[in-house]
Amino acid sequence: MFKLALRSLIDKKLRFALTTLVVVIGVMFVVGSFTLTDSLRSTFAGLAQDIAKGADLTVRVDQEFGGDFERATVPEAVAEQVAGVEGVDLARPELAALNVFIVDGDGEPIRPPGPPALGFSFNPGSFFITEGQQPSAPGEFATDTVTAANNDLRVGETYQINGPLDAEPFELVGLFNFGSPDSHTGLGQTMAAFELEEAQRFFGMEDGYQAVGVLASAGAEVSEVQARLEAVLGDEYRVITQEVEAAEQEEDFNQVVDIFNTVLLVFAFIAVFVSAFIINNTFQIIVGQRVREIGLWRAVGATPRQVSRSVITESAIVGALSTVIGIGLGLALALVLRAVLEVIGFPLPPGPLTLQFRTVVLAAVVGLGVTMVSSIAPAMRARRISPVAALSQDFQLGATGLRRRLITGGAVFAAGVVSLAAGMTAGMDTAPTFVLLGVGAVLAFVGMNIVSPVFARPAASALGRPLKAAFGVPGRLGRDNAARNPRRTASTAGALLIGLALMGLAAVVGESIKKTFDNILDNAVEADYFIQSSATGFGPPPGFPARVADEIEALDEIESVMRIQWAFSGLSVEGEPRDIVAADMSLADDHFDGQVSSGDMAAGDPRTALALHSDSAESLGVGVGDTVEATFPDNQTETLTVVAIFEDAAIYGNWLIDGALWDRHFNRNDLAFASARTADLPDAATEAEQASLLERSRAAVNGVIDRYPTVKVENQAEFRQTQQSQLTAIIRVIQVLIGLSFVIALIGIINTLSLSVFERIHEIGLLRSVGMTRKQLRRSIYWEALIVAVFGGLLGVAVGTVFGVATALALPESFVQAVAVPWLDLVVFVVISAVAGLLAAILPAVRAGRMNILDAIAHE
Amino acid sequence: MTPSPTQALATAARAVAASKIYGSGDTEVRALDAIDVAFEQGRFTAIMGPSGSGKSTLMHCMAGLDNVTSGQVIIGETDLTTLSEKDLTLLRRDNVGFVFQAYNLVPTLTAIENITLPMDLAGSKGDEAWVDEVVGATGLADRTKHRPNELSGGQQQRVAVARALAGKPQIIFADEPTGNVDSNTAAEILGFMRSAVDQMGQTIVMVTHDPVAASYADRVVFLVDGKIVDELEDPTPQGIRDHMTQLGA
Repeated sequence: MFKLALRSLIDKKLRFALTTLVVVIGVMFVVGSFTLTDSLRSTFAGLAQDIAKGADLTVRVDQEFGGDFERATVPEAVAEQVAGVEGVDLARPELAALNVFIVDGDGEPIRPPGPPALGFSFNPGSFFITEGQQPSAPGEFATDTVTAANNDLRVGETYQINGPLDAEPFELVGLFNFGSPDSHTGLGQTMAAFELEEAQRFFGMEDGYQAVGVLASAGAEVSEVQARLEAVLGDEYRVITQEVEAAEQEEDFNQVVDIFNTVLLVFAFIAVFVSAFIINNTFQIIVGQRVREIGLWRAVGATPRQVSRSVITESAIVGALSTVIGIGLGLALALVLRAVLEVIGFPLPPGPLTLQFRTVVLAAVVGLGVTMVSSIAPAMRARRISPVAALSQDFQLGATGLRRRLITGGAVFAAGVVSLAAGMTAGMDTAPTFVLLGVGAVLAFVGMNIVSPVFARPAASALGRPLKAAFGVPGRLGRDNAARNPRRTASTAGALLIGLALMGLAAVVGESIKKTFDNILDNAVEADYFIQSSATGFGPPPGFPARVADEIEALDEIESVMRIQWAFSGLSVEGEPRDIVAADMSLADDHFDGQVSSGDMAAGDPRTALALHSDSAESLGVGVGDTVEATFPDNQTETLTVVAIFEDAAIYGNWLIDGALWDRHFNRNDLAFASARTADLPDAATEAEQASLLERSRAAVNGVIDRYPTVKVENQAEFRQTQQSQLTAIIRVIQVLIGLSFVIALIGIINTLSLSVFERIHEIGLLRSVGMTRKQLRRSIYWEALIVAVFGGLLGVAVGTVFGVATALALPESFVQAVAVPWLDLVVFVVISAVAGLLAAILPAVRAGRMNILDAIAHE
Repeated sequence: MTPSPTQALATAARAVAASKIYGSGDTEVRALDAIDVAFEQGRFTAIMGPSGSGKSTLMHCMAGLDNVTSGQVIIGETDLTTLSEKDLTLLRRDNVGFVFQAYNLVPTLTAIENITLPMDLAGSKGDEAWVDEVVGATGLADRTKHRPNELSGGQQQRVAVARALAGKPQIIFADEPTGNVDSNTAAEILGFMRSAVDQMGQTIVMVTHDPVAASYADRVVFLVDGKIVDELEDPTPQGIRDHMTQLGA
């Protein structure tokens, strides 16, 4: 039987190649993502060690939760205490701040496209001067060699630096390598380093240090020094060895790597899933075409078992070959991805690719497993073929009844929907949620695939109606052939369906977010100007100097400025970290209407006031006037009073505190966002007077902004425009990535069409002999492909829209409030899938046209 | 018996020194060996011969489905050896009718759609009165909306003959049209072809190995080893059998 399986593969080289290619793509993604992320991990491990080498021990405040930049500082007194401990040779205070942007000689701020722009106190332990000297006085700074080289920064020149508080000129006095004396081991971040006291002043962190690095005296045992330090400092502080420091750094890096890995695996999963459809489809057709041949085997004595085994063997050969090729291409993909990362601004230190045994096993599971599992159903059908099939002229393989299909498929689909619904309502961020969502999506698609043949015939007929009318016989035949085998049409369309459904889902959810945002801008925005970082790109915009807000506030034309800062995990309530926004609560209602449903944002003591979104209030069971115990990242706990409950989370999130409270617990001084209102005119003011006020205020605000190249100001219309285009860009990127499944689906259509053409060889010969020209024949195949592709496109868009609307409804109100369907986008998707179908038809159509007529007629 | 009408009638199709050679050197096979043959208008001719005699090759070459290696094939006034692939296709569509042994019909099309297929391919309506007449003659006027799998084997072949007739071609070629059916059905099909010649004035050339089928023809041409070796006018089954025995011996 192995011989038979092998022979059947060799006989059909094209089909074999296409089927293999489909599996290869899936395997390639799995191998590529794991290899790249494994390599990244080992690279980062080395980097973390480099970074930690600067000190024997590091002293930090023991933080219960929150980010590194939100940690409480080590007071100067404690640093002095550390220096006094026996065995400590040097206690070096360390300081770092986010969003410290150097402005280059052309007046353009240097913005790393992904990594942060960081400010430091100069640390001779890990910063190695290569040119000039280390900064030792106010008004001096040093930067890393890579940033200097990339932006043509020269020692001796003076550059403006935008810090958390203000923008100031500094003289570049030195260049350094970070991590090792020989080469800079950065990951694309820009680094500006200052003398310690200058850094404290410039960053606005005069109270203390983020950490104190300790060098042990010669001859002192590090572990003994550590024990002594721990005894002196108590529970409030951690004393960390170089190894632990490296491990913690590595863990931080790995969190990023994990996200990256997850994203790649999602694509791998989509690729594998789409491949499974195509493989299943291919084997179904192959078995269907070989009914007589298989009947003959049975007649000459092959057992049903041997028949099904030969089908599975054939799939195993395809799977094994795909696994091997896929591993090779996966390694290449990892290299390509690494190059892409470098191009978009994440230069990675060179290192070997790491192909772990685990990756190889996974590749085999995916390559062999998916192929063989997908061939089980066709193999089972093959074993039901009776020996009579060999003798009968037109033996048809019994197809599953449409009624049974409707029931089974409907049940699977319903199970998928239930699982999806359970996943959506189970709350975010938990592993079971993702399992529920994943299983739900797979079940829903499989159910859809079982049911869709029921619609395939009527749908293909309806879609083909205009073709028949407009394009004569080729149109007619295209339509008939698409409707001829509903199962085949449906599963070919199924491969397209998945990609389109995901694209449709992303489009609907994205449009709903956009609409939500539009509504907010229409209804909630009271302020006239919006000030934020002029950086463009993904992710939250970086912070900007707080001084900008002060200067705008001082303008005559401006009545008030509201400053906004925020932090992930900015406070913890009932043991759970929450994201917070800080704003001037006395102004909050005047600048953005948060739809306060009870209480008053401006009421109460700003140092203990808390405003909650109604969702959070409900889940905590608190109302206006109640108190909440909240812990901050600096480990301090306060009793806050709920002063207001609001309904619109777009600007203020779920947890809103006042800037006064923020200042007491956070070291970060840069602003995330600010809004300004012009002075109110008397009611009697004319339109001309208002316009003139707006003009003057804009000019005044621009006058301030012009001095800060990292900052931009927008009026309501501009603000809306930028927000929308950023959102659109993100959605597009996601859709393009999902579009990868299109490529696989394309191969699937080529495969199916080739097979269905092969099945009709005799008929094609007949048509050609009675006078169908090659062109007409090719056209009929194009029309067939078009109908199948449009069918898949419509089905996919319909499923995507339904899931998208469901997702938009299920997402928390704080994120999506309105549901909107981007009809034009959906139409474009269907058009794209139609074009994909036509492209896929070229090869089969040309081959069909070249067929020898006599051979074709002789073919049964 | 009237004198041979061969000279009196115009020629629908003819081959002039037509040869078809497969392979070369030692493996050379002469499927057609410099054949000269003419098929007259308005007559029903049968081509007979043992397996491998070249009778199907002759028909394929005459019909423009295959190319001769040397010599000429002429349908009406047109020399097929000078035509491009596309012009050959159009010639088949407009001037030649076909009936094959089996699977003559496109399964997704109804009977009437199969009959008008060549005209539909040409994008023309054809002669509707003529199509009606042809459909009437098949005796299947009430089954025209049926699909091939809803018709019996004989009915399918009658539809196939009707398709060949519908475009008023200069000549119709039939390749073992009764090869796949029982004798009653064969009689039904052959009777229909005979009447197409007698009542509709069509020209039919049929390849067959069945003496009974050949006896429906006006003339039988015998082929052996790619050469025409004999002819018979107004044949009877017994007469054909006698000739076959002589040739085969």
